[in-house]
Amino acid sequence: MTGAYRACRPPLAGGLAFLRHRSRGRVVLCALCLLVAASAHALAQDEAVASGERLYAKYCSNCHGDDLQNNSGVAFDLRRLKADEHARFVNSVLHGKNAMPSWQGVLAPAQLDDLWAYIRAHAYEQ
Amino acid sequence: MKSVLFATLLVAACPLTAFGQTANDLLNAEHTPQNVLTYGMSYSQQRFSPLTQINRQTVKRLVPAWSYSMNNNTGEESQPLVYNGVVYITSQNKTVAVDALTGKAIWNTPIDYPSDTTRVVCCGIVNRGAAIYDGKVFRTTLDARVIALDMKTGKQIWSVKSGDAKDGIAMTGAPLIADGVLMVGMAGAEYGSRGYVEAYDPNDGRRLWRHYTVPRPGEPGADSWPDHAANASGGSSWTTGAFDPALDLVYWGIGNPAPWNALLRRGDDLYTNSILALRPKTGEVVWYFQTSPNDPFDHDNITSIILADLTIDGRPAKVLLQAGRNGFYYVLDRKTGELIAANPYVKVTWASGVDKETGRPKWTETTKKAIAYTDQIETWPHITGGTNWYPSSFDPRTATAYVNTTDYGMKYQPDPVEEIKNLKPGDAYRGVKITPIYNADGMRGHLRAIDPLTGKSKWAIPFKSPNWAGTLVTAGGLVFTGELTGEFIAVDSDTGKILWQFQTPSGIIGQPVTWEHDGKQYVTVASGTGGVYVLKTPDPNLAHVPPGGTLWTFKLMDE
Ligand code: HEC
Repeated sequence: MTGAYRACRPPLAGGLAFLRHRSRGRVVLCALCLLVAASAHALAQDEAVASGERLYAKYCSNCHGDDLQNNSGVAFDLRRLKADEHARFVNSVLHGKNAMPSWQGVLAPAQLDDLWAYIRAHAYEQ
Repeated sequence: MKSVLFATLLVAACPLTAFGQTANDLLNAEHTPQNVLTYGMSYSQQRFSPLTQINRQTVKRLVPAWSYSMNNNTGEESQPLVYNGVVYITSQNKTVAVDALTGKAIWNTPIDYPSDTTRVVCCGIVNRGAAIYDGKVFRTTLDARVIALDMKTGKQIWSVKSGDAKDGIAMTGAPLIADGVLMVGMAGAEYGSRGYVEAYDPNDGRRLWRHYTVPRPGEPGADSWPDHAANASGGSSWTTGAFDPALDLVYWGIGNPAPWNALLRRGDDLYTNSILALRPKTGEVVWYFQTSPNDPFDHDNITSIILADLTIDGRPAKVLLQAGRNGFYYVLDRKTGELIAANPYVKVTWASGVDKETGRPKWTETTKKAIAYTDQIETWPHITGGTNWYPSSFDPRTATAYVNTTDYGMKYQPDPVEEIKNLKPGDAYRGVKITPIYNADGMRGHLRAIDPLTGKSKWAIPFKSPNWAGTLVTAGGLVFTGELTGEFIAVDSDTGKILWQFQTPSGIIGQPVTWEHDGKQYVTVASGTGGVYVLKTPDPNLAHVPPGGTLWTFKLMDE
């Protein structure tokens, strides 16, 4: 399920920057071989999910629940976010909503991408 | 005679407003059970009521008189106050006054705060209550303001900014009026803030003093931070102190050092995890007692402080009681701060005991490892503690404390120093990985009747999810508390048998109180799930508990 999502994830600008930054060598290889490019993408994707998990534990888990497991209903269950709700996600996280804090100036665009990757990797609906 | 003279002097000194609430009222709170005038229900914070109309026999006729919507979804931890037929209660987003007999709103004053505020709110988006005095209602706000409202209209009289989210500071605790000053604490050790307790003039909000709880180089306690006194942080003060007017001492619980990870802070880290005995007028520290020096386990010593008179070895003793977050039940001489007893009241493995002479815990090998290496260890209790912020109660007739406990341990592993060495205020100051270890029976908490001197439970009721609510004990032989699944319960204080329960619409994390009007006894409590356990901890038992705040008042149905 997660694999399927990875394959069809739209290449976000931040995500690509991340790819270039972390695996420049592999980007060169990508030009040579599509197969390798695909696996490089998957690898970068794994890294994004892992980074998103760390960011989540640090900034979000106190309210949204350890490992995204939300049993309170107080804060939104982030696993409900759908693939086409990226704009909603970014908007809420940057500007806040009621008791949900704004994170503008704290989280960089690339970090938002990583958080999105992590959340979407565990979403109810892929 | 003396007290009449005192009262006359007092009236002369501070003329009563029509909607008053005097210093004398506050001193007498425990002898005027018709009202609930302070956090803790009296300066001793015993949460004991001499009222007996609702008792073991009559409790089966206890029914709701009214309920009121708090129109808030983030959790209701607040203790209601009751004064002359009006209930005053806070939420994170409002303060309200409700007619105590009908449940109709009298006023409702909303609170707005900047959108970055809750970045540094680690542990529940809540407020724990107000103080009332001299015609005003005082409270703190999440964006670290202290405000005064007109008791009659709810209009703001003054508001002062105490701290800033950028420095990791928020406020959730109820203020305390002691010796004519308004005292407050702050939260934020989880964000590297420097803790303090401070006092204001209740009249105009002028700050009278601020006492920082962790030192800077050259100040007392600085050598207990050998690695970095210059930026020592933690020691927040996010619950409410107790007051002994005769000794003129306020006892305030001080929280954990920051970050939790202790690899870069050797030493005792004074005055974190301590009880401070302070002079309310000046902020002078008369004595301190530290429960968990050099703590890696968030032994945040802010659990409720109760003042009591015990008979120990046949002699009367004025003591301070605290079920410590670290799992030991402490009994101290409240005049001197000397340790009288410290015994485990839940499973404790981080220390094998407490040294009677020095008051210091005797660390086990796993704790020695946890402060020096990045190996994973197992330890009890969990970071949540043997209990947490929710206050316990004490029946002075039987010298029994009623405590909601959390009963689980944890796997604990410090992150490498690279992860914590460049932290700055506002960052998350934890730096550890934690996995809970639950008991095989699936019970994560108990309501316990504890003998303070031995720590032993006379009885204990197990619960799947730990109760996150305060307890109240009455001379009617009842202990009231609430469950995270919403049941408001009355328990026989002698046997631990649940005699009565009522299903409220959401989980209960509030603090029950009881009061009397025209010869009728009432019980009031807020429902509305939230708080750090519910928000953070996966718990299948809570999967279907909806959020939503309501305030409930119960009375006996006529026969
Ligand atoms: C202080 C508690 C708190 C923290 C910390 C927090 N949130 Fe929230 N969050 C909330 C609450 C409460 C809501 C529900 C807001 C509402 O609808 O009133 C929410 C809602 C959301 C929503 C849904 C908003 C919408 O569009 O309906 C998203 C997305 C979200 N949070 C993401 C995050 C992320 C990502 C982080 C970490 C960077 C985070 N939150 C940290 C409390 C918090």
